[in-house]
Amino acid sequence: MENSIKSIWQEGFLKSNELIAPKVVNLYDRKSEHIIDKYKRMFKKNITAIASGAFILLFVSFLVRLQYMGVPMFFFLLFMAYVDKKLLTELEQIDKNKTSYHYLKSFDNWMDKKNTVNIKIARILYPYVFIALLMGFWHMKLKDQSMGNLFMEKLLQEFPGTSLFLGLPIWGILIVLLIVTFLFIFGARIYKWDINLVYGPIIKKLKELIADMEELREGYEL
Amino acid sequence: MTNDFYTTSILPHSAIIIKICRAYTHAQEDFEDYYQEVCLQIWRSKDNFKKQSEWSTWIYRLSLNVCLTLFKKDKKNNQLFVSDPVPADVVEEPPVFTNDALNHLYAAIRKLKEVDRAVILLYLEEKSYQEIADIIGTNPNNIGVRINRIKERLKKLLDGKFN
Repeated sequence: MENSIKSIWQEGFLKSNELIAPKVVNLYDRKSEHIIDKYKRMFKKNITAIASGAFILLFVSFLVRLQYMGVPMFFFLLFMAYVDKKLLTELEQIDKNKTSYHYLKSFDNWMDKKNTVNIKIARILYPYVFIALLMGFWHMKLKDQSMGNLFMEKLLQEFPGTSLFLGLPIWGILIVLLIVTFLFIFGARIYKWDINLVYGPIIKKLKELIADMEELREGYEL
Repeated sequence: MTNDFYTTSILPHSAIIIKICRAYTHAQEDFEDYYQEVCLQIWRSKDNFKKQSEWSTWIYRLSLNVCLTLFKKDKKNNQLFVSDPVPADVVEEPPVFTNDALNHLYAAIRKLKEVDRAVILLYLEEKSYQEIADIIGTNPNNIGVRINRIKERLKKLLDGKFN
């Protein structure tokens, strides 16, 4: 059989027309469809959008007197742009010239790192945005008074017996904590669910390929 | 300048790229996309070629690496490997080679796992166990055992065609 497989291979390609290269059109202007290049493009766009968004948000927040929301969001967005920049730099270091095993392993490690980092960010992002919005509106000035003060005055007029902690209603603090916990848990879950939906098959296949190559490397064959 | 690079440095080795791309694609359209993508990646990575191996060996490695990590979107918009088996409800395209035996061999190779396809392609291209291990990044001592297993599997797949 060995000879027949080899002979099929060798004789099959004897005819020169079996190996005619497809027509190559605008090869060097072509947009790469490779996943690493797609990620690179996506990260570059994200970094530009996040960084410019951070400055626009900061400017607008001062215009509409929501600076208590704008300033924390500005720093958080800059932090996100920095994280993406670091991930992009690591992605650019993945070398397609390596052996297949090392190439797949470095890509898989990068995917794992990206997902771990993004899950952590998703856990913080939603509660952070919620608290930033709350702070922004609480400190927003209306007729020389902050909305928070106006709210507290109105509340204590209507319900004078409201229990307070640090000048805030305890039930209000509990609701905020409940929402923050909910967003902390579900922010990560939503991200994981989204990743599994879009990249689940790729991640699974990468792991399978690597496991198969590790079998070959470590001698489980014998 | 760039056209010269394709003509002088890629085209003379196009047979390698064609043989590899055919093993990882089921449809002609995918094959042509793969071929162009591999050529593009060779051109982009050319400065990383350190002359520690033959240019042709480097092309084998790069082509395999690109083919192992190319995906396309399916109808549900999920990203899937093009090398995955063709779903039962999709009609396979007609064979591309004039030689029937070669068509059957390629059909059998495409039924192997991706890593096994790489190993058998390099073996059929007369690469030594050490060269195969160097390209894939595995242990040369295990290549022989794996090749025997792949040949057994190919034998089973091809027996129905030739007996």
